Amino acid sequence: MDAWVRFSAQSQARERLCRAAQYACSLLGHALQRHGASPELQKQIRQLEGHLSLGRKLLRLGNSADALESAKRAVHLSDVVLRFCITVSHLNRALYFACDNVLWAGKSGLAPRVDQEKWAQRSFRYYLFSLIMNLSRDAYEIRLLMEQESSACSRRLKGSGGGVPGGIETGGLGGPGTPGGGLPQLALKLRLQVLLLARVLRGHPPLLLDVVRNACDLFIPLDKLGLWRCGPGIVGLCGLVSSILSILTLIYPWLRLKP
Amino acid sequence: MDAFIRFTNQTQGRDRLFRATQYTCMLLRYLLEPKAGKEKVVMKLKKLESSVSTGRKWFRLGNVVHAVQATEQSIHATDLVPRLCLTLANLNRVIYFICDTILWVRSVGLTSGINKERWRTRAARHYCYSLLLSLVRDLYEISLQMEQVIHDKAKKEKSASQDPCGYSVADEETEWLQSFLLLLFRSLKRHPPLLLDTVKNLCDILNPLDQLGICKSNPGIIGLVGLVSSIAGMITVAYPQMKLKTH
Repeated sequence: MDAWVRFSAQSQARERLCRAAQYACSLLGHALQRHGASPELQKQIRQLEGHLSLGRKLLRLGNSADALESAKRAVHLSDVVLRFCITVSHLNRALYFACDNVLWAGKSGLAPRVDQEKWAQRSFRYYLFSLIMNLSRDAYEIRLLMEQESSACSRRLKGSGGGVPGGIETGGLGGPGTPGGGLPQLALKLRLQVLLLARVLRGHPPLLLDVVRNACDLFIPLDKLGLWRCGPGIVGLCGLVSSILSILTLIYPWLRLKP
Repeated sequence: MDAFIRFTNQTQGRDRLFRATQYTCMLLRYLLEPKAGKEKVVMKLKKLESSVSTGRKWFRLGNVVHAVQATEQSIHATDLVPRLCLTLANLNRVIYFICDTILWVRSVGLTSGINKERWRTRAARHYCYSLLLSLVRDLYEISLQMEQVIHDKAKKEKSASQDPCGYSVADEETEWLQSFLLLLFRSLKRHPPLLLDTVKNLCDILNPLDQLGICKSNPGIIGLVGLVSSIAGMITVAYPQMKLKTH
């Protein structure tokens, strides 16, 4: 009970719960439609989803300020690539929230002349840019860690007298050139890279969580902008998974990826 | 901006801000409605008020657990009167939040067999009981503070060895009332959290009294007292030391 009180005292936590519920409704609605459930039930689920969506827009009023503050803080990072990626991502998020506020004003009747479609498309565009920036940052971090890991492995091998390299320990980005490799050697290299990637991600849960979350989130604006129509089922599932993962980062702050 | 973000990151902070907005709209609507040519503004205020009021329900979902926890905490208060009052007040809050959740289920259309008026009346009644009990506790604390002020004053006068002044020789009613009010003012000045809590409860109680038809007032008054109590609530969130603590 104490944990719930502490969790729900953060407004972001409540917004994430509503998001999870909204995408669960979307997924449920799609599943009910596929299995031919009663139109009454489908209407109820759609109505609940609409209420959740509007409620979330109200809960998000003022998040632009938060995103701008985060962008301001990110400008002071030491690494250039990280500084660029994170700052631009936060700025895009701030613009996304600003468009979202305009949409709320339109939906709640304050500004009835707002072109809902245009502003919705704008907001999803900014959201997409921010997710692309996040994924670029994740890719950069993964590459750094993979380089670190492979150099640590080769140091260990050198230290142990350089015996027969076993399995993933080679991490050979530029391994000893065996002449005439061709396809099998390429396949082996690829396999080693994939194994190294798996090792890196396994050893850094916050990074893994962030990658999965951003990848799942990516489907939503891609579908809404018409770039890659995946259907409401996939969108609902991805939205639900990413909401659950972000709730986890709120419950366990050590799972949050720190720059 | 940092303080604003820290404030809005708390659910209660955001909720109080929206509540203040909601009651400001109610007040402005009451003031602007009789004026000609302001229909569009009045309509917009009404829409803003209703959308904020609907949205605030999301802040209240799950507060049953908060109220149950508060009940458990208030059982351990040391003084008998606060212990009794706060426990009963929090129990009434639990019932109020249950009624509120049922009303929410009805409003999002998940079920249609719920009598909205009946549950709304129930919710208002239990909210009213909880506020009354909180006020009883506030009055008890005020009386303790007033005793403390008299006691301190008497001690100061004994050590200064002067004739006791003012209220101890008051015979006429107006002088008695004046000195009582002065004493009340002094006790509340010493204890700002108690003042804030009393003001908040007094302002809050007008709304359910109006809903239950016991003390009908106009939307302007409801809006004004709602705004004052929301501001008092925002102060307790922004400055946690201003929250009235139970010993």
